[in-house]
Amino acid sequence: MRTIVIRAALLSLASCARLFAAAPLPAEHLTVTSMPSDTQHRIYVLDEAFFNEIDARVHLFDGDTYRRLGQIDIGFTPAFNLSPDGKTSVAATTYFSRGSRGTRTDVVEFTDNTTLKATHEIVLPSKRAMTLPTIFTLGFSADSRFLYVSYVTPAASFGVLDPAKYAVIDEIDTAGCVLVIPSGPNRVSSICENGTLLTVTLDAQGHEASRAFSDVFFDADKDPIFAQGVPETNGYAFISFLGEVHEVDFSGAQPAIHKPWSLLAAADKAGHWRPGGYQVGAIQRHLNRLYVPMHQGGEGSHKDGGTEIWVFDLTSHQRVARWPLAAQNLSAVLAIQVSQDDAPLLFAADDRADLAVFDAVTGKLRHVEKQMGQTPWLILNN
Amino acid sequence: MRSIDRLFEKSSRALAQRTSRRSLLAALGQVLTGAALIPLLPIDRSARAGEAPATPANPKAKAAKAATDDPKSCDYWKYCAVDGFLCSCCGGSSNSCPPGTAPSPITWIGTCHNPGDDRDYIVSYNDCCGKVSCGNCECNRNEREKPMYRPSRNNDLNWCMANADSNYHCSVSVILGVAEK
Repeated sequence: MRTIVIRAALLSLASCARLFAAAPLPAEHLTVTSMPSDTQHRIYVLDEAFFNEIDARVHLFDGDTYRRLGQIDIGFTPAFNLSPDGKTSVAATTYFSRGSRGTRTDVVEFTDNTTLKATHEIVLPSKRAMTLPTIFTLGFSADSRFLYVSYVTPAASFGVLDPAKYAVIDEIDTAGCVLVIPSGPNRVSSICENGTLLTVTLDAQGHEASRAFSDVFFDADKDPIFAQGVPETNGYAFISFLGEVHEVDFSGAQPAIHKPWSLLAAADKAGHWRPGGYQVGAIQRHLNRLYVPMHQGGEGSHKDGGTEIWVFDLTSHQRVARWPLAAQNLSAVLAIQVSQDDAPLLFAADDRADLAVFDAVTGKLRHVEKQMGQTPWLILNN
Repeated sequence: MRSIDRLFEKSSRALAQRTSRRSLLAALGQVLTGAALIPLLPIDRSARAGEAPATPANPKAKAAKAATDDPKSCDYWKYCAVDGFLCSCCGGSSNSCPPGTAPSPITWIGTCHNPGDDRDYIVSYNDCCGKVSCGNCECNRNEREKPMYRPSRNNDLNWCMANADSNYHCSVSVILGVAEK
């Protein structure tokens, strides 16, 4: 009995000693985290939230720290883009007055990327193109004077908006042609069903001054181009279902279409390799490289993600690397983006919603961020 | 309601005028019942031309590796270009919208091959509208599907776009008739 009492006393003393030795935790203050400074490794990942589609959002993610920086809410089947200076996000979206039903309001919302607060909006006519996100559903003119938004009712047109006065300027009919590809201060091109580009030139007030069609450069029946473009130095590369690359220079008054080249050598064609996914290419301008998610498929496989990422030199048109993804425990890649700095990162979102970060020079996998939302289908950066 | 019908008719006709009208109504004329549901769009008769359907390369993009007769399966032959959620798994059926939703009067038309009777069928891909996306039985098949600059062959567009409640809920595939070879 005496032993038990002594042990209990010693234990009690030990507990008291610990209490005396450890300082109490300080009181905390509830704060709001500020956005860190922008870097060239920041990306904006559009999650369509397809399984509850009125709730799309953009996740901001840092490719150096692998930190999720914050979120922008973007509603239902949204369009999304960044201002040329990267300081503002814009989303064209739709809200219903009772959440999932009720009066429809189409609107462009502006978010300050230094605070992630919504700052302004422009209410649109209820004509917004409700479709998969691409950079061609909403975009600024090069000088930020105008903002263009694609309309499909299904009659096709586009809206010209004033992002300084937050006002709708005009609607321009583009029958047979869809989407908005801004170039220069006052030109908007659209992709046409007959394989041409329609280019509308605006006057200083944002109204149509003239329009012209390009020559036919693709065949929508035999080998359609994806309805998206990969930004390059003076324009965009348009990739076709069968792997043709149509580079178009938009720096002049009218688009200049270069001779197409193929992603596929004879053996690749025999192996049924194809590009596919929801964002099917990224170009690193300094490296002069094009990255494309590739899979083995056939008719109807154009939305299948890549089981490999292939890397091409844009001058020689030769493949310089192929990076298999299964070995990295990645699923099929649906969207890719690359940074434009001297230590570039390649970002790839797969169909399990995981986001991979690669060294864009060596292909070395640096990080996999699990579950970047439900359905990350578009990645943007500055 | 009539004014809404006229609006849909106008937009459908406008679309048809901008797209190829080859062999448009020859087959549709025989099956024009329930006009509000039948879009005036071109018909793709190229069902069996060209390449074989894709081999699935990822679990979401199920291609027609085995065309089953289960309307809750993405492999069901009628779903050869459905991209969305199957209404069969959402309270409806392969040709019926779930309770409380409304069919999209405008849509697009394609052709699917039924291996059961070795016939090609013209099908109308309609969306059912007015509730948030169902989220069950996601199906992403794209045989002969084209990008949105060819809207009469595109399944990326929300075909509920012209509905009073334009929220997308799920997709059906409705047989319009046999495609003549």
